[in-house]
Amino acid sequence: MNPPSRSLALLVLLALPLLPACATTPAHDLYLFGAVNSKGRVSGSRDTSLNGVYRRTDTGAFEHIGISYPAMLNGSFDPRDPRVFYVASLSGVLCTTDGGQSWRVGTSWDVTEPKCVRVDPTAPDTVYAALPDGVIVSPDRGRTWERRETGLPARGKYAQVITVDRTRAGRVLAGCETGIYLTEDSARSWHSVLPTKDTVNDLQQSPHDPQLWIAVTQSVGAQLSHDGGLTWQKIPGVPSAHALYNIAFDPASPQRLALASWTYGLLTSEDAGATWTERNTGLPVPHRVWRTAIDPDTGRLHAAIIDEALFISDDFGRTWKNGGMPASRIQSFAFVPKAAK
Amino acid sequence: MNPPPPLAMKFFTTLLAVTLVATAVAQPSYTGPVPTPPTDTRADTLRRAYLTRVNEALDTTLAAVKPNVPLSREQLLAKLVRHQDAAQVSQRVLELLREPQSGDMFWMFPWTAVAYLGRDQLTPEARAAIRSSWRTYFPLRGDTENHWAMYYSSLYLMSELYPDEAGNTWFNGKSSAENLAESRGYLLHWMDLATTIGQGEFNPTHYIGEYAIPMLYLASWAKDPAMRQRGHMMLDWLMADLAANTLNGVLRGPNARTDDTSVIERWNALASFFSWTMFGNTPSPANYGGWGIYFALAAENYELPEVIRRIAVDRDSDYVQRDLKRSRRRWRYSDVEMAPVCKTNYLRRDYAVGSYQGGLADPIQTHVWDVTWAVPDPRGVHNTMFSAHPLSSARVMQTYFTELPDAMIDGLASQGKPSYDVPDKILGSSPYEKVFQDLDTVIALYDIPEGTRFPHINGFFSKDLVNVTVDQSGWIFAQGGHAYLAYRPLAGYEWQHLLGYKQLPAQGGGYRWERVDHGEKGDKLLYSPHRQNGTIVQAASASEFKSFADFQAAINALPLTFQLAPTPSVKMTTLRGKRVEFTYGQTPVVDGVAVDYSKWKLFEGPHLNADKGSRRLTITHGQLERVLDFNTLTITDRVLP
Repeated sequence: MNPPSRSLALLVLLALPLLPACATTPAHDLYLFGAVNSKGRVSGSRDTSLNGVYRRTDTGAFEHIGISYPAMLNGSFDPRDPRVFYVASLSGVLCTTDGGQSWRVGTSWDVTEPKCVRVDPTAPDTVYAALPDGVIVSPDRGRTWERRETGLPARGKYAQVITVDRTRAGRVLAGCETGIYLTEDSARSWHSVLPTKDTVNDLQQSPHDPQLWIAVTQSVGAQLSHDGGLTWQKIPGVPSAHALYNIAFDPASPQRLALASWTYGLLTSEDAGATWTERNTGLPVPHRVWRTAIDPDTGRLHAAIIDEALFISDDFGRTWKNGGMPASRIQSFAFVPKAAK
Repeated sequence: MNPPPPLAMKFFTTLLAVTLVATAVAQPSYTGPVPTPPTDTRADTLRRAYLTRVNEALDTTLAAVKPNVPLSREQLLAKLVRHQDAAQVSQRVLELLREPQSGDMFWMFPWTAVAYLGRDQLTPEARAAIRSSWRTYFPLRGDTENHWAMYYSSLYLMSELYPDEAGNTWFNGKSSAENLAESRGYLLHWMDLATTIGQGEFNPTHYIGEYAIPMLYLASWAKDPAMRQRGHMMLDWLMADLAANTLNGVLRGPNARTDDTSVIERWNALASFFSWTMFGNTPSPANYGGWGIYFALAAENYELPEVIRRIAVDRDSDYVQRDLKRSRRRWRYSDVEMAPVCKTNYLRRDYAVGSYQGGLADPIQTHVWDVTWAVPDPRGVHNTMFSAHPLSSARVMQTYFTELPDAMIDGLASQGKPSYDVPDKILGSSPYEKVFQDLDTVIALYDIPEGTRFPHINGFFSKDLVNVTVDQSGWIFAQGGHAYLAYRPLAGYEWQHLLGYKQLPAQGGGYRWERVDHGEKGDKLLYSPHRQNGTIVQAASASEFKSFADFQAAINALPLTFQLAPTPSVKMTTLRGKRVEFTYGQTPVVDGVAVDYSKWKLFEGPHLNADKGSRRLTITHGQLERVLDFNTLTITDRVLP
């Protein structure tokens, strides 16, 4: 499929000089997955905004890539070739092999609304996707998909997030409505490692310590594992009355973490999670943080405020400035090493 | 039944068009008197009347064409149907497709119609632009069964129209063959669900169009005779279901999906367009319900079976129709993927009573039960009475939608569902409402947990009720048309104005909603702020009693005991002499026999019958019978001895 001609004219959404003044050329490309003008949009809406994948240019602006598609949630890149990536979208898992210029819906009618897609970093022909009704796996770079759900409950396998252990092929954790499930055989069998009564919204492996994992949930706050996801403890100091949406590690500093929440806004820790502080001063009110991310090159903190804009902070949340993408709903960030190109 | 031969039909339609031009309709019929079903029921007369209605919709669309004003998509489609101005239409197709496209599956089916109707008329450039748009515009597939019906029917037909083309010529990167196979896979899956465990978005007031239009397109244009037959049979199925659940052309009883307008002005819905077109017994909504033109443009390819028409218009006795449907798919926080919905509709000359057993069907727009009465002209009339718990719950929304919890409720008001999170709403189902119906008695019981948002129930009292009388017995009596109604609130209440909604254009496009207080002249809300609660409604025909006072006396004489704590429960003898015991959360008992919902059939009644899992519907009226058998893809008509 070719992109529409209108997308050949890149929509440059940021005019501000957003890269830190001291920065050299970043080592990573930043991709955003999301949409603008989402408030009020439903399937069938008349709206011709450019949506889907955006990439940060060397000037710090964001350019739109490929098709306009307003319901992309997140993407995962082949470490061997970042032009190959997969996107969880309303229509299924989208696959591109040319950097987003052409796409194919890899899944069929029986897969709807995947919530998360992840490439196995040590076996990158294998791709996992979390679905509202389970888990699917592609052994062949998204061409074919099969359900692998043995060990997941017949009811209760709504999967919001799936994350692959970067140290061992086929070792995967899935965040579901009934907790966290682990597989060590490429999803051929699963077992519960943390039961919950509400959905697990995000699961991340520390870039510093592969045994350290953090999960955020709808009703049991943030959960920490020091043994690769086998056992979990609630992180004190992180509120749990309302949903937490995602967790971000700072790849440059093991002390720094950030959490996004509709209710609490942006929470940060600068002591490896021992204490947490709300960093909402300067964010729009209400400070509904849909997603957060930390730039591995600069440590810049990102907060996507739903239907408002992207906000950025170069002092880890003490002050914020508008980072563009007005009226956007950024569903996820992906920092992709440029060196891999 | 197969569609009539195309050539013969084309000749007939052209002849009819010429006739219509000669007797041009100055005003659309929906501004005129209420239509009455024809007395001449010969097949050719009925067919001519059907096509006259269809052509009225096309004529009205064409009459709105103005010189020097670009054609709308509907207008260019009407011109294609009439084989008019192909050059102008081609030019307009090119203009429209030069713009960025949007609308997703609501874009797909109109452009499928343009592609098929224009395949022998449009210029090569226009046809190429249409084909190219299916490469460059990437429509969302959606997240709802009606979305998928539109998406896959359109993709199926376009893949048949452009076979043997590579994946890079289609928006989704799949070849024609792959798209055809995927579309077929979904359509067969959906038809199988509908014909074994029931339709998901059952008896919708508006969304009937989102199913009927795609099925008509399949019946009209599918190259594969099996898919063409399936489209035709599903359309028969939908129309039979509509016919059996209407009274004077107005859809009655529960709906998986309706809206804030149609839930009280029952006629004002796209379903009435189909009653008008098919049965000719109620006015079409204004502008043919918005989407009606998309049915009209291919309607000549469908012939309503006489047995279905008679079910709608020829009622010589009261009847109960019981149907099995299913809830929308539940992704999480539920023990079942799709909950069974056991529907009852009791239809009489003067009124109808309908319900399902309560609980959640669709999270936002379900209507669970009501008593509606017949009126001479349904336009503007709020001919209904019911109560509901105004549930608003992020967790329930998450059950049905794959979203994070907080934004959904916040966003609904701007997504065309303005009432979802307001306390006086009367639209929607609740897990805390359980309902039992026997003929024209409905008992709705509520047990709302502490801490629930909006811990009260709302009863709807129409502006069109007369003789509303609050009796010292606790019953509230009223008259709607020729129906006497008795409403018994089981807990204390107060009267409030019911606020409505007005749709306004929004800054930057789209629309927004503004709440409007209709004041003393408007509908009223019976607001009952008690978590353990209940409503009993009993209806009867005025002709059954000497006077309204006699009806009231009969109701007051009914044996009735109830309790609200610890669990709401009612024991009563109905006006029809049935001893009913119903406790919230327990199986209802009638005359000592427990109701067995597990034995509910897919359809059961004098007109529609199908066993669960059978894929086979028998449609009956008098001596006429049609059997739709999806196992064999056969339609069998019989005249019974």
